Amino acid sequence: MKMKMHSRLLFSALLLQLIGIAAFAQTAKNDLSLSVSYFNSNNQVQYLVAHAKSKIDGKFQMIPNINVSFYIGSESPSNLLGKGVTNNKGECLVLIPPAAKSEWNKSAKPGFIVVSQATKQFDESKGNFDVTKAKIQIDTAADKKITAVLLELKDTAWTPVKDVDVRIAVKRLGGDLDVAETPTYATDSLGMVSAEYKRDSLPGDAKGNITIVAKVEDNDLYGNLSSEKIVSWGKYYPYKSEFDKRTLFARRGKSPIWLELIAYSIVAAVWAVLFYLFGQIRKLKRLGI
Amino acid sequence: MESIAKQKIIEDLLPQKFGKAGKIWVGALLFICAIGFFAYYRQLSKGLVVTGMRDYASWGIYISNFVFFVAISLVGSLITAVLRLSDVHWSTPLTRIAEIIAVSAITFASIIIIVDMGRPDRFYNLFLHGRLQSPIVWDVIVITTYFFVSLLLLYFPMLPDLAILMKFKEKTGAGLNKIYSFLGAFWKNTPVQIHISEKAINLLSVTIIPVAFAIHTVTSWLFATTYRPGWDSTNFGAYFISGAFLVGAGGVVVAMFVFRKAYHLEKYITDSHFDKMGKVLVLLALLYLYFNVNEFLVPAFKMKKPEEEHLLGLFTGEFATVFWFAITTAMIIPILILLFKKGRKPLPAFVAGCLVVIGSWFKRYLIVTPTLLHPFLPMQDVPASYRHYFPSWEEWAIAIGSLAGALLIITLFARIFPIIPIQETITETEQHENENA
Repeated sequence: MKMKMHSRLLFSALLLQLIGIAAFAQTAKNDLSLSVSYFNSNNQVQYLVAHAKSKIDGKFQMIPNINVSFYIGSESPSNLLGKGVTNNKGECLVLIPPAAKSEWNKSAKPGFIVVSQATKQFDESKGNFDVTKAKIQIDTAADKKITAVLLELKDTAWTPVKDVDVRIAVKRLGGDLDVAETPTYATDSLGMVSAEYKRDSLPGDAKGNITIVAKVEDNDLYGNLSSEKIVSWGKYYPYKSEFDKRTLFARRGKSPIWLELIAYSIVAAVWAVLFYLFGQIRKLKRLGI
Repeated sequence: MESIAKQKIIEDLLPQKFGKAGKIWVGALLFICAIGFFAYYRQLSKGLVVTGMRDYASWGIYISNFVFFVAISLVGSLITAVLRLSDVHWSTPLTRIAEIIAVSAITFASIIIIVDMGRPDRFYNLFLHGRLQSPIVWDVIVITTYFFVSLLLLYFPMLPDLAILMKFKEKTGAGLNKIYSFLGAFWKNTPVQIHISEKAINLLSVTIIPVAFAIHTVTSWLFATTYRPGWDSTNFGAYFISGAFLVGAGGVVVAMFVFRKAYHLEKYITDSHFDKMGKVLVLLALLYLYFNVNEFLVPAFKMKKPEEEHLLGLFTGEFATVFWFAITTAMIIPILILLFKKGRKPLPAFVAGCLVVIGSWFKRYLIVTPTLLHPFLPMQDVPASYRHYFPSWEEWAIAIGSLAGALLIITLFARIFPIIPIQETITETEQHENENA
């Protein structure tokens, strides 16, 4: 009887331990932080980017392979903008489809929601961003002066926005290059910033064209806005092919002139001495006959 | 100078017929060369597959041998040119030994390069289609030039000796006399001829130094212009030249001992010569050791990842035994022997010289092959034989055959021509006597 009691106690203890481990395993799931950014590129293309990150081992890490759904207004199937999976940077991008126009027009400050599905490591998570409708306009003058105006939609009228940082830059292949020493400018009461283009001989396309861009970046109200304008302030650098030119890596007979001069001079100098000495042997022979 | 003393010098230094030991020596060298020829015949008929060389270790002991020959050939410029221009007279009996070592070594350096080629019948393409930008072409040019400079430096000082040899037809034999006559019958020892010859020798002494430096620097550039662990060094030119002077001087010490013993030249190659060459050898060994410390310590201090594998392979890995053997035998032990006066006596100096030569051969192998087995990109999906290199018997036979060939040239030269300059010895003895008088 006593043995039976002991067995029951032991069994109960083991069961409790297993339940504890299981409970701990469940609570070991990490918190997933999901956020969404709004982009308006050149006042034409609107898109959203979801960012999934989590604090693992004391530091934030971007989480790939998270299924996310984007919504406008409310989290209902009719408001679904698109679905996607986060990449290695923990990001997922969806373009806002034209079908969302009516929902977009309903409010002056439309809200975007991003929802992630629960996984083995993470619970379901949500993020949202309410965007204030705004646009940025860029213009240039002949004296290489750039102006940009930031306007916000209030009721039905576009009104200038004061004290917002706008970046004026030139679009390059690896990123944006500031047009002058100052990277950003704060808008004045007319919502305007102006900058002077101070870059000299920046490579452009075949016509010398470069793209100037005015941007509002990661703004709490407006998100990311940008506006571009193509100007011919760059310089055309025609591609110079080194193929079949005189270089150290060229084919036979195409060695650099400096190398040929040095090499042949050395060879000629040394062999001149040798031929002189061969001549001296002939001279010695003549003297001995 | 009394004619009896002069006569004695001539008799002592005239070329001598091979004795029993000489004949065995020549026979052994010919036998080794014959095995080398047979191995090369196999290589020609079956291709380079008979060697241990594969995709990665595409340079093996042939190229090590080439670098060794180029290195040892540099001694001609050291003994003949540098010491002559420095007005050092004690080296006179050694000049011809140094020059014949240079000529035979550079001859076999050229031959061994052709041996390394898979298709030697296409060798002419190097001249027809060579790129001036390539250090290989520079090497071909500079080796050819150095060969002729060395040959002339051997020939000009020998002209007065040829005239002497022709006077001793009954001792040298009619066959050899024809050679002497062909080469130097025109030498009448007139003041004008002597003046022209001395001027030519001085000009050659000046010319051979930059050419000698060029030959070994360019050989080092064959490696250093390539971006690979162990070769990517700005130090390589000086490192190679210092090593070349060391092995060349070591070779001369060995040859001095052998010729002195074989031809009883104790009066001409004295203990003092061994003492002085021993000091030269210590200096050169210390210099080469210094360059080795630079060459290995600096990259080992940084231990960049690709270098690490190469260096650890040398220090503690696959090549450690050969590496430490080479460092010890080529530098450490010879320094320890020759630092002491007793160590600079003929026999210990000969032992030190042998160690230098043997250690230096293995040192050249370590310069060439381990780097090839440590490429930047990992070796993947290759047969096991590609990952390691060990020479096949054909390679050993050809390499040893080439060394025997070089020794054969030196041996036959000493049989035909005086290995110590006769006329220069007489002149210097006369000068010495006049100064004493």
